[in-house]
Amino acid sequence: MIEDEAVFIDIGTAQQKKNGQNAYGDFIASKRYPEECRLIAVLSDGLGSGIKANILANMTATMLLKFAAAERNLIRAAETVMNALPVCQVRKISYSTFSVADCFEDGTVRIVEEGNPEFLHLHNGKVVAHECERIASQKFPERSMRTYVLHLEKDDRLLFCSDGVTQSGLGGSLYKLGWRREGLIDFVESRLASDPVLSCRRLAQEVVGEALTKEPDRLAKDDISCMVLHLREPRSLVVFTGPPYDSNRDAEYVGLFMRYPGKKVICGGTTANVVARELNREITTERFVKGSLPAGSRMDGVDLITEGVLTLSKAVEYLEDDPAVLPDDAAGRLVGLFLDSDEITFMVGAKVNQAHFDPDLPLELELRKNIVRRMERLLTQKYVKQVLLRFI
Amino acid sequence: MESQEKIKIRVCQGTTCFVMGASRLEGLETQIPPQWRQKVEISAQPCLGMCQKAGFMKAPFVRIGDEIIGSATVDSVLEKLSGIFK
Repeated sequence: MIEDEAVFIDIGTAQQKKNGQNAYGDFIASKRYPEECRLIAVLSDGLGSGIKANILANMTATMLLKFAAAERNLIRAAETVMNALPVCQVRKISYSTFSVADCFEDGTVRIVEEGNPEFLHLHNGKVVAHECERIASQKFPERSMRTYVLHLEKDDRLLFCSDGVTQSGLGGSLYKLGWRREGLIDFVESRLASDPVLSCRRLAQEVVGEALTKEPDRLAKDDISCMVLHLREPRSLVVFTGPPYDSNRDAEYVGLFMRYPGKKVICGGTTANVVARELNREITTERFVKGSLPAGSRMDGVDLITEGVLTLSKAVEYLEDDPAVLPDDAAGRLVGLFLDSDEITFMVGAKVNQAHFDPDLPLELELRKNIVRRMERLLTQKYVKQVLLRFI
Repeated sequence: MESQEKIKIRVCQGTTCFVMGASRLEGLETQIPPQWRQKVEISAQPCLGMCQKAGFMKAPFVRIGDEIIGSATVDSVLEKLSGIFK
């Protein structure tokens, strides 16, 4: 159990379609519930391959995700789905199999598996075995779920995969019985030994890539999917924008800003001046303009200083458009920092600059508060970041 | 009389000044006559804070030494400098 320590549940996935198919027959879905410090992830393998399998897996994963979120009891939710999934009339076997992980940031993870290969729990880079509890379906005698309750520690990883991974190479001359769980474990353990900070996404990609190399001619005989979860130190960012409403409390807020762990950004000239004054540090600005925005400035102890509402508005635009390459201006640099962070705190000063409402201005400036709210929505919904707004 | 200390020119890059034309002052560096270039030091400043207290003066603001000029353009800054260097 992880106590009093900030933890972020990272998730990374990778998939490979069965050779010759135009749709994935496995489906991975996840949803984050920041207010509950929770992440639910599902990997489902649909019967057969191609579009039919995709629909079956998609339906199973979506149902599980919704049920698991609505129902605190994951086992009951999974049982409902297990009993509800129909049987293929032709082959008389289950429509789809699934693995679902309900993770909390305190390290508690509930896992239910039906049909999929057993997950791997990696602690200090080594696989740890767990006893499961089996729950048989009351409706279908051949179906049973494996359920687990785990208490993970920081830096532990969980790896889920479809049978396309463990059975890769099956029937070939080199891997008659497939890569198998043992082969997968050897691979993952050796990768983590050589690179202990390997990201979830990279590990999932490498597992899928390695499974594919086991297949004769690198042609996947089944859909290959891998999903990795990692409980790690969160990468934090704090953005100080706008001077505090009560200037008597400037020092207090600047102190709070500087003590904040992680990267620090100031958006706003006046805000930058407040911080520089309180810390008695100098701001250096070299260029005037970068792109269509005022250029960024520098100060010791702060990672980026930008102008306020124009840069924030531009950053919202970039977040909405999601360009493949971020422009090299202050807003592009700000968005780059957002994307590299898990937790973003905005300290939004409530003081309004009357000059921004001068009718002589050639364009209408939006209220800082509204831009930040739009940014918050985008970052939480589109980019699944944890965002905290503090109006000061 | 030639002063040893360079005259500091600070161009406000605050939001109001930027939209009111401070970005056009970027050309200042290249338009300053060669004989004055060694005598001045030009840089941008996140915000001079003038728009909230300048009274009848308007953005964009530039500080030349201790003096603030409003509605600044390259021409008005050069005019001010010619007054200083005459």
